[in-house]
Amino acid sequence: MSRRIQTAAGTGLAAVAVTSLAVAFILAGSAQVPQASQNTVPTPEPRTFPAPTNLNVLPKNLTGQQVHNIMEQWEASLGAQCNSCHTEDPNNIGPKGRPRLNFADDSKPMKAAARAMYSMTERINKDYLAKINSSGDPVTCGTCHRGSLNIKPFVPPSDAALPITQKLPGSREQPLPQANAGDAVDYASPLELLFSPDGLRLYVLCQQSEEVRVLNAATYAVIKNIAVGRVPRGISLSPSGDRLFVTNTWDDTLSVIDTRTLAVTATWPVGAEPSGVVEDRTGKHLFVANRISNDVAVLDAATGEEEKRLLAGRGASYLALSPDGNKLYVTHVYPNLSPHRTAPESEITVIDTARAVVLDRMPLHGVAGVFHLAFSADGRIGVVAEYHPKNLVPLAHLEHGGYFVDTLTLFGADVGKPIEVPLDELERYASRPFGVAIAPDKSRIYITCEGSEMVTVIDVPRLLHFIHARPRPASGSFAYDLAASANYVIASIPVGHDPRGMTLNRSGSKLFVANRLEDTISIIDTRSNRVAATIVLAGPKTVSAIRHGEQTFYTSRYGFQGQIGCANCHIDSTFDGITWNLEPDGFGRNIVDNKMLEGLKGTEPYKWNGGNPNIPTECGPRTEKYFWRSEQYDDLTLADLAIYIRNLPTRPNRWKMPGREMTPAQERGQALFTRDTDKFGKPISEYNRCSYCHSGPKGTNQKLFDVGTHKPNDNGTLLKSAPLTEIALTAPYLHDGSARTLEEIWTVYNPEDKHGRTNDLTKDELNDLIEYLRTR
Amino acid sequence: MRFPARFLAVAASIALLLPACGFLTEAAQAPSADFIVTAAPVYEPLAALRGGERFPRGAQLLLVHAGKAEPLVTGFAATADANVSFDGKTVLFAGKKEAGDTWQIWELTLADLSIRKAISTAADAERPFYLPGGRMVWAQREPWGFQLESAEDGHLPGYTFLNPTAGPGVLPLTYTQASAFPADVLADGRILFEAGFPLGSGSTPELFLVYADGSGVESYRCDHGRARWGGRQLASGDVVFTHGATLARFTSPLATETPVVAPHAEYAGAIAETASGAWLVSARAAANTHYAIKLWKQGSPALQTVLTLTGKNLVEPVLVAPRTTPKRHPSGLHDWSYANMMALDARLSREGDLKSAPASVRLEMLDAQGHVVVTGTAPIELDGSFFVKTPADKPIRFALLNAKGAVVRQERGWFWIRSGEQRICVGCHVGPERASENRVPAVLLRSTTPADLTGAKDASAAQQGKPGGN
Repeated sequence: MSRRIQTAAGTGLAAVAVTSLAVAFILAGSAQVPQASQNTVPTPEPRTFPAPTNLNVLPKNLTGQQVHNIMEQWEASLGAQCNSCHTEDPNNIGPKGRPRLNFADDSKPMKAAARAMYSMTERINKDYLAKINSSGDPVTCGTCHRGSLNIKPFVPPSDAALPITQKLPGSREQPLPQANAGDAVDYASPLELLFSPDGLRLYVLCQQSEEVRVLNAATYAVIKNIAVGRVPRGISLSPSGDRLFVTNTWDDTLSVIDTRTLAVTATWPVGAEPSGVVEDRTGKHLFVANRISNDVAVLDAATGEEEKRLLAGRGASYLALSPDGNKLYVTHVYPNLSPHRTAPESEITVIDTARAVVLDRMPLHGVAGVFHLAFSADGRIGVVAEYHPKNLVPLAHLEHGGYFVDTLTLFGADVGKPIEVPLDELERYASRPFGVAIAPDKSRIYITCEGSEMVTVIDVPRLLHFIHARPRPASGSFAYDLAASANYVIASIPVGHDPRGMTLNRSGSKLFVANRLEDTISIIDTRSNRVAATIVLAGPKTVSAIRHGEQTFYTSRYGFQGQIGCANCHIDSTFDGITWNLEPDGFGRNIVDNKMLEGLKGTEPYKWNGGNPNIPTECGPRTEKYFWRSEQYDDLTLADLAIYIRNLPTRPNRWKMPGREMTPAQERGQALFTRDTDKFGKPISEYNRCSYCHSGPKGTNQKLFDVGTHKPNDNGTLLKSAPLTEIALTAPYLHDGSARTLEEIWTVYNPEDKHGRTNDLTKDELNDLIEYLRTR
Repeated sequence: MRFPARFLAVAASIALLLPACGFLTEAAQAPSADFIVTAAPVYEPLAALRGGERFPRGAQLLLVHAGKAEPLVTGFAATADANVSFDGKTVLFAGKKEAGDTWQIWELTLADLSIRKAISTAADAERPFYLPGGRMVWAQREPWGFQLESAEDGHLPGYTFLNPTAGPGVLPLTYTQASAFPADVLADGRILFEAGFPLGSGSTPELFLVYADGSGVESYRCDHGRARWGGRQLASGDVVFTHGATLARFTSPLATETPVVAPHAEYAGAIAETASGAWLVSARAAANTHYAIKLWKQGSPALQTVLTLTGKNLVEPVLVAPRTTPKRHPSGLHDWSYANMMALDARLSREGDLKSAPASVRLEMLDAQGHVVVTGTAPIELDGSFFVKTPADKPIRFALLNAKGAVVRQERGWFWIRSGEQRICVGCHVGPERASENRVPAVLLRSTTPADLTGAKDASAAQQGKPGGN
């Protein structure tokens, strides 16, 4: 995260003031009932709810359906059940042989308490919050209860005794300790590491403090901190070691550092969200993987001038040069677009470095999320870390690899045809493999597992024996066999929060692991497979609410048997580009596209059907039940997680011109977006204009509509108008991900113009509309 | 944990005896923490699986402090099955106030030695365990043997329901017509229990798992064979149990048990792991001797005697110390009276994959009298998938049929699906090591409505192979 992110987060926190926790007004659900319009329809009512007869504090004109909706929200906010407040009527037995509830009866004390508490929130909102400008969200039951009737009392700790992970829920960021000149004022967030060719220096790429910290490799003392661009991600050395390259993802630049002077000598503009960077052995070309433009830029290594782009996989991010320098291997973090409800497909793009052309695309079937790749020194084994999701199977339970299997794909002369092998065990998971390192003698492979907060160690001879001795599956994957890893995984070494990049010293005796969310580097003794020492990087020593929320987001410790965390489906706090089938909606029903998390604030309610009023509901008890399927965080941690998510900033929009300028195509597209008559001069009703549902700064009016995109396997017809934030990045589209492109939304899935009037538009005009939408 | 002096010493009846043959004759060792054991003249560990009495001549809980044993509680004709709370402050146990009473669940508070009845039941209630989230589980005697039941443990307000469909009160967790007996509560929140294999019909003791709401019942591992019982989980996550009379373990990386290379002896299972990693085990030299409490460090060639008691078996040692609270299981059961089950590929099995998909699946249920009732059949897709609505909370089993209606493969035992549970099976007895493949089951492309095999009268359409209601 950048300094700017920190600032943005702080501003966001200030804005939420008294109710800085992410909550939404419970009754907003009723206020957000779609307005009657030409293209809205009432929710189908599979059940009927009798008119309430004993409303005391709720408006007396509410229908049974409305009261039911409110009660469902209260249930979620309080973790209560109907019979928490309502008595059973022994004289009214239901079809299952159980007494029905008497909703009008007032004999349960809890019901009186609920009424009193609701009235209290109404008074707070009306008499206090309403009088504060920009006071943020209203107070609701969930503000304090957070999904549980049994609220733990909060005891403010003394400063001295303050556990680093405990903060008052919703409190603003505490002022960071005043830094002396030259001290870091941000978390360092070390992401990647590498040694200088002579082994005397350790370069540490720090993402949040936006610098390269140069450490003495013997003493780990800081030699120099070198400021780079915004939110750096990739780092590499030139073959000679004279130059250090750093990609800066938020300003689309490449920092070139002279390793003799340790100064930035050039900052070159590159593609959209540059990530991995590698210079070829001849020093002729620099290759830069661009995550947003899904390609690899080929730059003149001397001038930085871009010569061409090579199409790579979606979300191209990590690069590895073969040991002979002849080939460059590119991985990508989002799967390539594949037909709806088919397994994700990824690839390793292989580039001929001499000719700077794509040689091959090695398919990675069933893989979504591919990260670092490494080669053995002799080039005979290539290893890539990846996720193998189960997004096509209803997510009924986590056991037996029900949501994900964490895998490696191996290739190369020692391996033969590429083969996928699991890292997981039957009851313990190597969640989210990210970094890969191979011992110089090819005896071991090391993998950082972000979610599991550990390094997995593989015995290479045993691994090769396994893959050659076992009958090779036709699928090319052993991912279905959770007992396979026992044949080659020899150790799991706990390290710090969110371990990412790693590097071995020249002899291979020490492995250095960057713990991104802990500001430490674990030094592992590779003979004993134990952490021998830990380097603590300079930076704040307290853990802010946002930092704690981020740690919670990236760990898998809350998922059943440690299988998953938030970041499994929200890669780098974004999305994963695939669709899922959640169990509570029904097997095969309500297929949902995973959504981008950035810029969520102000887009409530959440879920495609608007079913979750706020982030604590989204991430609270429901997540515990249906995602983690195991006991999750406490209320304080949930609050910090909500703060982190709610304050995720939106990355720079690459399609937006400076200021308010627009390209001609964007201007034409904007006119189509806001038009009130079609090309035949016929008026377009307000409700059928793009700009009605997709209004406001986030491109959503936060209401539900029937736009004709529901499918037979959807449980309802009403869908929340989706925010347009970063829409250019987040294919596939529509609630179920059935539209692979923006154009398909209108050309395939809008035959009756219910999703806005678009069938009068030509392809060029649709392109203009897309050009405009990309600026949102 | 020291006890007041009012406890009568029973040292006269307790001796640190020289070990019988097969045991080292070295000085008694003691773990640093106090522990509780059950002392019984006769111990029949597997009797409960037959619905019988494990302690036919009575039993008494002893607290062992610094090598000396004293009765844990007074005023009871019999006590057994101690389980210490996660904070180390209370102890659940089974007790009989009078010799003619049934076993009931009681709770001792160690600080003031107060005792309360944790729950009153009409028949024997034995081997209680604390569950996270303020609940407990125990074995309840039922007409078909013992069943697992769960209820609040009395330490939380009454509004925290484990199962929204059950509300407060007793929640049955097992639904077989044979005995099920709890063995441990695992770190992941699941309950380890013993029952005969095949479940509901067999007699070979085996270890099974179930979530704390009764859902997700399955074998711990599928390398079934010799008797496995007395399982306890270690801090590492491994489960150690008695295999025949020796010790073996399940470990996360492996789909099959691995032997524990321990000194030759007969082990009574239910070990206790000390803070140092050593094990307190209940072992004897031969079947005609009594179990004593021994300490064993893994890798050591010998057992060290901790406690013996003339004429008594000392079994089920439990440390009196705080321990890590297992994860609470957040029940996701729906408010339904039925269950849904989907098989991803019925062709897959540890017994050998079928080369082609069976034509249909038949569901059988045991009624209250133990009669087998066929509740219906449903088609199986070419990819081996099927999706059915089943009776809930009843013993059920599936049979795979060919196009002529002949049985191709049949479950040997019975299992259940809880009310409101939606369950997925990767195959038919594939083992827990088999992860699902990532594809949309063909049955869901045909219909998302499960074929109704509940046997309800309006399910006739389903029995003709058409989707029923959901």
